[in-house]
Amino acid sequence: MDALSRPAVVIDNGTGYTKMGFAGNVEPCFITPTVVAVNDSFSGSAQPAVRGTPARGNWLAQHSAGVMADLDFYIGDEALARSRASSSHSLSYPIRNGQVENWDTMERFWQQCIFNYLRCDPEDHYFLLTESPLTAPETREYTGEIMFETFNVPGLYIAVQPVLALAAGYTTTKCEMTGVVVDVGDGATHIVPVADGYVIGSSIRSIPITGKDVTQFIHQLLKERGENIPAEESFDVARRIKEMYCYTSSDIVKEFNKHDKEPSKYIKHWTGTKPKTGAKYTCDIGYERFLGPEIFFNPEIYNNDFTTPLQVVIDKCIQSSPIDTRRALYKNIVLSGGSTMFKDFHRRLQRDLKKIVDARVRASNSRLISGDAKAQPIEVNVVSHPIQRYAVWFGGSVLASTAEFYEACHTKAEYEEYGASICRTNPVFKGMY
Amino acid sequence: MILLQSPSRFLLQILQDRVLSGEKGMDIDCHTVEFDDVRYHIQFSMRNPKVMVLSVALPLPPPEAILYDGLPLGAIEAIKAAYGPVVQILDPPKDGFDLTMKINLTKLPLDEEQRNTILTQIASIREVVLGAPLKLLLKHLASKTVAPNVNNLVALVHRPNESFFLAPQADKVTIVYPMRFQDSIDIVLATSFLQEFVEARRTAALNNVPSCMWSPVPPLELKGVSADALNANAGFVTFVVYPRHVEGKKLDRTVWNLLTFHAYVSYHVKCSEGFMHTRMRRRVESLIQALDRAKSDAEKLKKLVHGGSFKRLSLKNEGDSRF
Ligand SMILES: Nc1ncnc2c1ncn2[C@@H]1O[C@H](COP(=O)(O)OP(=O)(O)O)[C@@H](O)[C@H]1O
Ligand SMILES: [Mg+2]
Repeated sequence: MDALSRPAVVIDNGTGYTKMGFAGNVEPCFITPTVVAVNDSFSGSAQPAVRGTPARGNWLAQHSAGVMADLDFYIGDEALARSRASSSHSLSYPIRNGQVENWDTMERFWQQCIFNYLRCDPEDHYFLLTESPLTAPETREYTGEIMFETFNVPGLYIAVQPVLALAAGYTTTKCEMTGVVVDVGDGATHIVPVADGYVIGSSIRSIPITGKDVTQFIHQLLKERGENIPAEESFDVARRIKEMYCYTSSDIVKEFNKHDKEPSKYIKHWTGTKPKTGAKYTCDIGYERFLGPEIFFNPEIYNNDFTTPLQVVIDKCIQSSPIDTRRALYKNIVLSGGSTMFKDFHRRLQRDLKKIVDARVRASNSRLISGDAKAQPIEVNVVSHPIQRYAVWFGGSVLASTAEFYEACHTKAEYEEYGASICRTNPVFKGMY
Repeated sequence: MILLQSPSRFLLQILQDRVLSGEKGMDIDCHTVEFDDVRYHIQFSMRNPKVMVLSVALPLPPPEAILYDGLPLGAIEAIKAAYGPVVQILDPPKDGFDLTMKINLTKLPLDEEQRNTILTQIASIREVVLGAPLKLLLKHLASKTVAPNVNNLVALVHRPNESFFLAPQADKVTIVYPMRFQDSIDIVLATSFLQEFVEARRTAALNNVPSCMWSPVPPLELKGVSADALNANAGFVTFVVYPRHVEGKKLDRTVWNLLTFHAYVSYHVKCSEGFMHTRMRRRVESLIQALDRAKSDAEKLKKLVHGGSFKRLSLKNEGDSRF
């Protein structure tokens, strides 16, 4: 077997969660928080402790302290558990807002993903990694350097996340590579128009409301109501409550009334055990079930600084795209990312966006003088599919199992001949559309 | 020390989360590949939720390794011993695989701890199958005998097209690994890592671990082995294992460590490359900072110069500050 006949490794490093697995599968093998726990007790304290010792001893002590610290780290859920259990490890989130911020911990994170989670030899597989649509070309070079030099991968393709999400929606029917991707993850929300597989860069919109904000908001509501949740795990509980019980309502006033009329039907309960004492506790979950996701449609209930609803941003994004693509874009709005998983999210978004579009068509028609041709109604279609939670990964899995993928990859030989700059661009390839 | 665990994290996760909790009633049909081309295929269908089918493909055997029905010596017996009634071997295995097993989920023990133990063992199928001959030979060593009907040099497959060699005797077993790496930097790093590894064991006088040697040429034990099996580019590592290394509970650990020795070295080589890069990045960053500092000092100076009071310095510094 050679690398071309083995499945490619597909890793989607999100701000919050990393999805990793092998091409050709429907699901990633692991979904794990993108976090590293590093032991900083060595590197920090070693210096003062060895001051005054002879130069050589000093160097040796520092060197071995450094090596120890290098080896002593954890990723994902194990990292979170480790940092909770002891103060010797501190957490590093290598990705912020979709961009790699800490290359040292990013490299360690990959190392563990490859060797301890997927348990594969990186020399044996082509790799498909993902990046945010706003990533700078230098970042891609860095990624290429680490992949080719440290891990010796035979081939690498760095795909743009929303393009993969678009590819994920169309596997059974004909693949349509024009559309708007609404990617709402944990730490970044991007609205990205794509035409024929190419991102329309100038029209990308980002909004500062993400999955983490929904958690934050629910956390705040629970706290204000005085729910009895131990402080050390309250944020995590808020997140789990969000993932299990939140839904999108069609109208908040009506929803408040429904809850008030039939509380037993709508109020849920959470039971947990206090980490310190082991005692059981319970709390109620009420209005936050629909108020959480509402912050996308009415951001002012959460935040005074940013008040533009998601549907308005999407509309502006499409309106700023080239005129000949707009109809196709409205017709194919694809959801991606964990925070689009709220029940009925796509219905609400479709309805609210359609309202804006219809109002515009009506307004322009009313300005017409009799005899002018009327504007055709515009089809608005928000697409939702079952693998939305990891649509980016799934799109990667599908594309990386085509023969064209291997041709589109940069190979180690090319890297050695031309250097890291080849990683700056990654061609859109057939099979994408 | 970075050591690989015997159970596959992925298999264990699927066995524990998906099938037993029954939370997601979804079908599973998933392929994975581990180091050395060990492949797994897991199938689970809601139509028959009592059964899970696990297929395993082993590394392509080199000509010198002897297999029995496509499996290493003693593998079938080892599977039966490890899993009992929970697992049934299907004959023939699925196309493209060397072993297919039906896991009967209703036969799992009800006690949670016992159940977890057996699930962990199923996830360790790699060790059970590939480690079977090694375990057999080392068990005999523990009782200071030699297994009947084995040659005085046994080749065991551990990587695609590569084997390692065992010379079993009643009082010791000598194990030799021809070490091969693809990448030129890896060869250099691995060779020096191996020499240090051997040296560290010698100086630390670790009596509880098998003694170990490295040599650039094949050791005497490998006399008569075909040249193809011996073209190693990172030398040869020899371990001598005595009965005390394999008595009781130590046996399983020793088997797994010997089975994954190459992966262990390869992992260390990759990690040290990673650490070297981290160091280099830090070094470059600190150099850039130093340059920035130098530049701003130079600029400050330049301002002063243009202020007119340091006329004599101006000639020298203006040239420098252009960087
Ligand atoms: N079923 C769900 N309902 C609502 N939110 C969810 C659900 N599952 C995951 N999430 C949220 O989605 C976010 C993670 O989404 P993801 O697309 O993986 O993010 P990223 O790629 O930015 O890391 C987290 O905030 C998580 O709490
Ligand atoms: Mg994402």
